[in-house]
Amino acid sequence: MRKNTCELIRRELDELNLDETCSTAAIEHLRECAMCREFHEKQTKLRQIVGSLGTVAAPADFDFRLRARLANESSSAASHFNFVDWPVLQRGLAAAALLLVFATGAFLVRSMLNGPVPVTETAKESAPTVKESPRQLEQAGSFPAPGTVKHEVVTLPPGKRPQRNKMDARAQVAVSNNRRLATIDSSFSGAEVIKGTEPLASSAAIPIDALSLQSFTVSVDDGRGNAKTISVPAISFGSQRLMHNGNQFAPKRVW
Amino acid sequence: MNTLTTIDELGFAPALQQDVLEDTTSDHALLEATRSGDQDAFAELVSRYRNQITSYIYRMTNDYDGAVDLAQETFVRVYRAADRYQRSYAFSTYIYRIATNLAISELRKRKRRKLVSLTGFFQQSDGSEAKEFNPPDLRPLQDSDLVETERRNAVQRAIGTLPEKYRAPLILRDVDGRSYDEIARILETSEGTVKSRISRARGFLREKMHAYL
Repeated sequence: MRKNTCELIRRELDELNLDETCSTAAIEHLRECAMCREFHEKQTKLRQIVGSLGTVAAPADFDFRLRARLANESSSAASHFNFVDWPVLQRGLAAAALLLVFATGAFLVRSMLNGPVPVTETAKESAPTVKESPRQLEQAGSFPAPGTVKHEVVTLPPGKRPQRNKMDARAQVAVSNNRRLATIDSSFSGAEVIKGTEPLASSAAIPIDALSLQSFTVSVDDGRGNAKTISVPAISFGSQRLMHNGNQFAPKRVW
Repeated sequence: MNTLTTIDELGFAPALQQDVLEDTTSDHALLEATRSGDQDAFAELVSRYRNQITSYIYRMTNDYDGAVDLAQETFVRVYRAADRYQRSYAFSTYIYRIATNLAISELRKRKRRKLVSLTGFFQQSDGSEAKEFNPPDLRPLQDSDLVETERRNAVQRAIGTLPEKYRAPLILRDVDGRSYDEIARILETSEGTVKSRISRARGFLREKMHAYL
């Protein structure tokens, strides 16, 4: 019972301010209890010592340093903005440039794959002469009659040096060696092989028949038995198609 | 039937008095002016609190230069957060809370760096935290001022050995003379916890300072 009273009185004394007076019950208890009296005296002295520490003054240049710090903070915040945002911008620009390059490349590849094949020019650039290889001579026997086949053999102009691909390069070598390597045929069944005994003048360049619906086939032989046939689908143009089929919408006798 | 003795028991945020709202020189008014770009208002706020905040942080950290730096950091944070400041509590509570957090953060950094006082320390036999040992100088002194200075230094060192959770409420109560209610708001804890911690802090100090009492 007494212990509880001491605890309560000490708690009350502890929570009081130094300048406050304690309750009458506490005063009476302090008269009777020497331990609580000693506690109260020590506690008061301790609080007086701690309270005597007082306030430490800030340095005289506190305001000046604070202003400088705030100014520095604002300037560093601005530079921080640039430092942070520029890399983001650069990354964005790099990504955009990468996308642009990729899109351009894709467009070029697609245009190369799907674009119209310049047949006549390719034919002109290809090796025009015919190689008399045994395989082609055998195949020539199975070809349809020349009257039903339209073939174009194109000669390479002497000054022209096409370098489009490996096949063209081979053709160039062959031409320089005075060998005929390629036949060009616009039929479904294959190209006719022109014999080397025929004069080159007879195989003059013939333009592609615009009215023909047949595909354009080019057979290339490198003279060592390696032959390759390239088939180009039929090419038609709107006006040609109209001419071939007739203009259905135009009035009679008017084209 | 329970009766309410104060309006605070209703659970509302403490309302500001009308005279505080209208007083152009109140802390709130000065911060409002600072928010609108008035540098003089902020300078007035700094002049009001620079000594208190510097002193409080110094008592917490026992390092004057560091305390000045942290006090400046406190004002920088107040300035930067002026737009977000809410007038729920007194400005002094707000700025002391910032200062307390900075001081405690600094103390934890020091603890991580294992900085100890050159006066030495003893490791506790039970494996608890190492505590600084500051034996009182029992030799007679010639001047009473020296005695007083020595006593203050001893108290300051003893406070420096208190754990953070006891140190802050003790300084706020016994050095700065703040009320339990305000200390509870600054430390964001209950008033009962504050009273308990202050009582324990005084108990620790009594043990350490028994030669001076």
